[in-house]
Amino acid sequence: MSSHYEAPIRRPLIVGDKSYHDITVEVAAPVEGKANKLWWTAFTIALLAFLWGIGSIIYTIGTGIGVWGLNKTVGWAWDITNFVWWVGIGHAGTLISAVLLLFRQKWRMGINRSAEAMTIFSVVQAGLFPVIHMGRVWNAHFVLPIPNQFGTLWTNFNSPLLWDVFAISTYLSVSLVFWWTGLLPDFAMLRDRAVRPFQKKIYSLLSFGWTGRAKDWQRFEEVSLVLAGLATPLVLSVHTIVSFDFATSVIPGWHTTIFPPYFVAGAVFSGFAMVNTLLIIMRKVSNLEAYITKQHIELMNIVIMITGSIVGCAYITELFIAWYSGVEYEQYAFLNRATGPYWWAYLLMMSCNVFSPQFMWSKRLRQSITFSFIISIVVNIGMWFERFVIIVTSLHRDYLPSSWTMFSPTFVDIGIYVGTIGFFFVLFLLYARTFPVIAQAEVKSILKSSGEAYKLFRDAGGKNPAPAKKITKTVKTTPKVVVEDASEQKNTLLGTLGVFDAATQTADDLKLISGVGPKLEKTLNTIGIYSFNQVSKMTEKEYDLLDSLLDSFKGRAKRDDWAGQAKKLKNNG
Amino acid sequence: MASNKKYWKSVEELDTKSSIVDTLKQNEFVEEIPTDEFLGNKENLETSSTTRRDFLKYVGFTTAAASLAACEGPVVKSIPYVIKPDDIIPGVAEYYATTMANGFDFANILVKVREGRPIKIEPNKDANGSTNARVQASVLSLYDSLRLKGPKANGLEISWADADSQIISKLNEVKEAGLPIAVLTGTCASPSTKKLINNLGETFGNVNHVVYDAVSESAALDAFEALYGTRALPDYNLEKAAVIVSIGADFLGDWQGGGFDAGYSKSRVPANGKMSRHIQFESNMTLTGANADKRFMVKPSEQNLALIKLYQAVVKGIASREATPLNDAVQKAAAQIKAAGSKAVVVTGIQDKNAQLLALAINQAINSEVIDVVTTRNVRKGNDAAVAQLIADMNAGKIGAVIINNSNPVYSLPNSNEFVEGLKKVTLSVACSMQDNETANAVQYALATPHYLESWGDAVIKKGQYSLMQPTIKPLFNTRQFQDTLLTWTGSTSTYYDFLKESWNTEVLEGKSWNQALHDGVFTVDIQEEEAFISEVNIDAAGSELAKVKGSDFELSLYTKTGLGDGQMANNPWLQELPDPITRTSWDNYLTMSKADAEALGVINHNVANGALNGSLVEMSVNGISEVLPVLIQPGQAKGSLGLALGYGRKQGLKSEMQTGKNAYQFYKEFNNHQPDVTLKLVEGEHEFACVQLHNTLMGRGDIIKETTIDDYNNVDSKEWNVVPVVSLDHNEVEATSVDLWEAFDRSVGHHFNLSIDLNACTGCGACVVACHAENNVPVVGKEEIRKSRDMHWLRIDRYYSHEEDFAGDNELKDNGTGVIGYKDTMAALEDPSENPSVAFQPVMCQHCNHAPCETVCPVAATSHGRQGQNQMAYNRCVGTRYCANNCPYKVRRFNWFNYPNNSEFDYNMNDDLGKMVLNPDVTVRSRGVMEKCSMCIQMTQATILKAKKEGRPVNTNEFETACSNACTNGAMVFGDVNKHEDTVASLAKDKRAYHLLEHVGTKPNVVYHVKVRNTQEA
Repeated sequence: MSSHYEAPIRRPLIVGDKSYHDITVEVAAPVEGKANKLWWTAFTIALLAFLWGIGSIIYTIGTGIGVWGLNKTVGWAWDITNFVWWVGIGHAGTLISAVLLLFRQKWRMGINRSAEAMTIFSVVQAGLFPVIHMGRVWNAHFVLPIPNQFGTLWTNFNSPLLWDVFAISTYLSVSLVFWWTGLLPDFAMLRDRAVRPFQKKIYSLLSFGWTGRAKDWQRFEEVSLVLAGLATPLVLSVHTIVSFDFATSVIPGWHTTIFPPYFVAGAVFSGFAMVNTLLIIMRKVSNLEAYITKQHIELMNIVIMITGSIVGCAYITELFIAWYSGVEYEQYAFLNRATGPYWWAYLLMMSCNVFSPQFMWSKRLRQSITFSFIISIVVNIGMWFERFVIIVTSLHRDYLPSSWTMFSPTFVDIGIYVGTIGFFFVLFLLYARTFPVIAQAEVKSILKSSGEAYKLFRDAGGKNPAPAKKITKTVKTTPKVVVEDASEQKNTLLGTLGVFDAATQTADDLKLISGVGPKLEKTLNTIGIYSFNQVSKMTEKEYDLLDSLLDSFKGRAKRDDWAGQAKKLKNNG
Repeated sequence: MASNKKYWKSVEELDTKSSIVDTLKQNEFVEEIPTDEFLGNKENLETSSTTRRDFLKYVGFTTAAASLAACEGPVVKSIPYVIKPDDIIPGVAEYYATTMANGFDFANILVKVREGRPIKIEPNKDANGSTNARVQASVLSLYDSLRLKGPKANGLEISWADADSQIISKLNEVKEAGLPIAVLTGTCASPSTKKLINNLGETFGNVNHVVYDAVSESAALDAFEALYGTRALPDYNLEKAAVIVSIGADFLGDWQGGGFDAGYSKSRVPANGKMSRHIQFESNMTLTGANADKRFMVKPSEQNLALIKLYQAVVKGIASREATPLNDAVQKAAAQIKAAGSKAVVVTGIQDKNAQLLALAINQAINSEVIDVVTTRNVRKGNDAAVAQLIADMNAGKIGAVIINNSNPVYSLPNSNEFVEGLKKVTLSVACSMQDNETANAVQYALATPHYLESWGDAVIKKGQYSLMQPTIKPLFNTRQFQDTLLTWTGSTSTYYDFLKESWNTEVLEGKSWNQALHDGVFTVDIQEEEAFISEVNIDAAGSELAKVKGSDFELSLYTKTGLGDGQMANNPWLQELPDPITRTSWDNYLTMSKADAEALGVINHNVANGALNGSLVEMSVNGISEVLPVLIQPGQAKGSLGLALGYGRKQGLKSEMQTGKNAYQFYKEFNNHQPDVTLKLVEGEHEFACVQLHNTLMGRGDIIKETTIDDYNNVDSKEWNVVPVVSLDHNEVEATSVDLWEAFDRSVGHHFNLSIDLNACTGCGACVVACHAENNVPVVGKEEIRKSRDMHWLRIDRYYSHEEDFAGDNELKDNGTGVIGYKDTMAALEDPSENPSVAFQPVMCQHCNHAPCETVCPVAATSHGRQGQNQMAYNRCVGTRYCANNCPYKVRRFNWFNYPNNSEFDYNMNDDLGKMVLNPDVTVRSRGVMEKCSMCIQMTQATILKAKKEGRPVNTNEFETACSNACTNGAMVFGDVNKHEDTVASLAKDKRAYHLLEHVGTKPNVVYHVKVRNTQEA
């Protein structure tokens, strides 16, 4: 950020002509404004889904895991599918905020806040499944290495499921801290703009007393970097560890060394798709098209295309290795995946994950917002099926044919899954109305380098962006026009209020009217208003005229009822 | 209670006019209560630090504290013995030798009794006892809450005394009328009971004892009687057999009372390069046929033909030259019989006296050592003709009284309506029954009898072997033994116990100790070698008579299942849930049909979304009786034949869950298990089966069940047919079992348990499955849960069909599938079993891997390895992630999806106060949400170790047992300590046939399988 210069061929990251103030206002708008009907509808639907999910969870815990569709052969199905799916979605957020920060990718600034929010909310969903899938949830604390009444009874550090516990909890806490750190200056911005005391109080608590001193900013930058450094390995580690749940097992189709990189690629793939889904809606609903631009979406589409292709490579490698291994159990596992009773799930997975992202090679398609949105949904469906295929088709026909069976979900399985989607959107919709959804402090830092207006100015030959501001300002307020209009309006105003004659009348102290200070009094005097009598004659029309004459304090006269006040003062006097 | 007593307070009260008394009456308190002192001083009150709010706080706190203190967990009182019975030591099991003889199953058994409760049945091995699944499960029938709990007259409760006096007066009435009294019983092998029935005759005159078997062997009895003079069944010692030819005889099932499997298994294990050859001609796929070396699908009517031809070829030396497949097979079998000579045996299950005569004649002609016509068996005595005569007489009004014991003719008679009509025409009808069944509800007097574990008794199962039955628990209900009832009616004052003891002392024991006999359970009397009496019977005429039996397009074969048998234990959830060894379907009976017939009729079987099996329904009509039945397509079913199990479809005295299937007895016309002239019609709708194994073939995975032929076994190095998988280590091919990622513990110290399973000796009978249920408190989950693939069996017996003629063919086919498409098509084809498949059984339980995949993945270390080789489950620690079950290559772990023991949704034995009594106190009843599995009966091995320790000795050779190895009298399952070299299992584990399941996974299991050897030698 040492220079405001950025290559002209790079497309701007902030479109339109925005000032720092505009950014502030536009980011704060959804928080300060009132929710529209659309928001309430979406929120209600999400809340209902969430409640259905809660009902299903309570039913499960109250009755037993038997209310799910699992059986002796298929011990995991939708539960762990959903878990891996949600964890995967969470990956994009950290990748965007941490990895792209380290690589100094400025386009991350428009989307990182929401991407991180998505991460946290989806990790919350993901974390739910390992807990509720336990047969005895009430003993869930057994998986934590805490001292217990059994003496030296410890957790089993060999178990990948235990590694999951550490991986997920670390990931959630680091993501949360990172997110919050980034939020501090933005919360402070909301605090400073807050009018109602309650909001002010909340935002001042949330912003941890941010003052905006240089020292604050310096520490902020340092912590961000350190946290980015901490979070980056997590991007790779979490899904690697999740993949160990399968890779370290002995079940054909699970026992695959390719899983760690393949899972990470898949996670980034599905995460970016989810970011696309959310932000394409959000930029529209919250009027943030200027900050989440086509450029952002295109870049994300490229990431989707690349990771989708990596995933595709992994799928094909798996098939090759199964054949090459010469192990009949391995060969059959993959044959069964593709052609067995769950062939349709495999086909869905292949077409959604490998085939659909290939459309992004076309520039026209990857720049199409509608198309990106559709593909983002398709990818997430495909990635859900990828996990389903890995988990269920490997289990349902493993070693001994005598135990082969099928899985079909119950309404409780479906209810919990839909419930987590509901829960996710409840959180995200609440977030969209209470948090600064764009990291405005960071976006402001690239305004001059990557803002469209500044880029245009530089293209036009300007050397220093500073004058551009002046130019724009002068264009905005043309003093001449104001002067011409003013005299005419002054006359009309004084026509009704009556002209003050300094010889016959004494000037009143207008400062006695509440809302009029010494400065305003002087202004009123220049217009020709000196007495309470004049002010008391003011009506709706006069207030409007007055407003048009004033540079500032517009609307105050009417709001404070100057006419009424003046009438009283006149009578008292 | 109100009292008129007056209490005087003072002498003043004597004076009625005393003012003091008057004042005292008005004022409750003699002195004035100083309320002012408390409340008068307003100032003081206001300055007091105790405000009203404080006061309310104190009240609130004390109320809360008092009510909290009142909360206390419910107290369950257990009362210790004031005077401890000598034979009850809490925590120590007692074993009693007794005998089961319920008219269908006969067995010398040991009963395990804990704290006065019989909880498990074991075979009495000292008395050569063996147990099948039903005998093992019979202990649960004791705790059947729907038993008949006391005497009833016309459905109303009555006292024993009233019942007795009413019945005796009616008996006298009958006696005066000069009408006969019929005593209808199931097969009664009890000499003392027979004596009592005779006594009844002496008292009331004209008593006719009719023996009725629900599933009849009358033809065999008639044939044997005709040839040998006694109405009994010959014994077959299959251990001696070199060639066994069976025509429709399911001798590993319930044929002629069953119990031949132990001998059979011994002949099947290759020893000195030899094993028996078993050829089976049958229409249904039976357990016996599944074990055969060569099996031919023959329609019932053609079985007659096969038998005649076999007789002609073996006895008459006439070889029929017809070139039909059946004839070729018969000729080859005949050649083998001739070659084996006296070491061969022919058995038949055709319910026709002529057919039975032919079989006996063949055995006589070859002078078979296998058949024993001297020490005959008394396990079936039913006489079809006598039963038919009785029903006719009853309807004709020629019978005065009917006394039924241990039989449910109203349910099991094909002409049950006629019997019920007949019952209405007799003066007195009495049923002595343990169950509140159909017959008990159709008679005037239903007299509750105790379970055999509550009874005294005796039985002569086999000639010369006297067995005793003794009670192991006080009768649970107001019941009285049939024998005691007879004693009462005949005016005797002694109890049956006294009577039994006396008749044994005088007639059986020959001066030997009664106590010793009671302790042993059996008393063997020497049989003098006598020449079997043989009468002249025209066998040729029998053959030509048999040849007249006509066949039809569809013929029905009625059979009994391993689980329910004749149906008298239908209210036993263990048996209902026991999967049929062949179809692996539980909770049902159904029509079995060949694939070709099913296709022609449009009948289908298909799996629904969760894998459960559904099948079409057909309406079957035989002899004018129709019933809608589900169809299960059965590989190996002879074309044109159908199979249907008896024993299902009972309604009365059964919990609603147990009222499964359709009653097949209605088709059992003239007690013939072969019924021709069947017509079938496909009807709308589908039936839901509860099948525990949904995939039927082995998919060419020859390493799961290794097989070889007797020739290869004898002549080829074991590495050729017991192939150990190899892996590449440092570019050398080494045995996969020798490669290890981990350093192994030293397992040569202390005990190290192994379980050996011989696939040659295992017939798939399922006794071990029920034994495991009983020993380990395995819950019953019911039909709906089985459909969801959630059976809880810790031990299962997998059954595989081959796609080709045999499993070797499958392996070859799989190896030949080339290219992706070829491979795909081959694997898809392998999913279909052959029309007449080779069958293999494999008992699978937790393999107790030394390198267990389940142990590494459990996050909380709830499953871990024991020092003695067992893979252990700490249920308390388990949180139920099911990761272990997923990572188990053998899929033996069972998850408690629900709270099975205390859940009204699962109304089986565990949710029944009475049924709970069968629970083994040594084994935890698992709660919901935990994983459970075979523990290798750790409670039994620990008990053995402790017992030896207390007695100050080392553990004896072969002293260690598990429930399954104990129940297996076939010798298929042998358990023991491999570190103890004298233990049988130690040598078995090193046998050249020994292999581990899925060796290449590297789990190093402690369960050893033995390669199945098939005798493919054709003469």
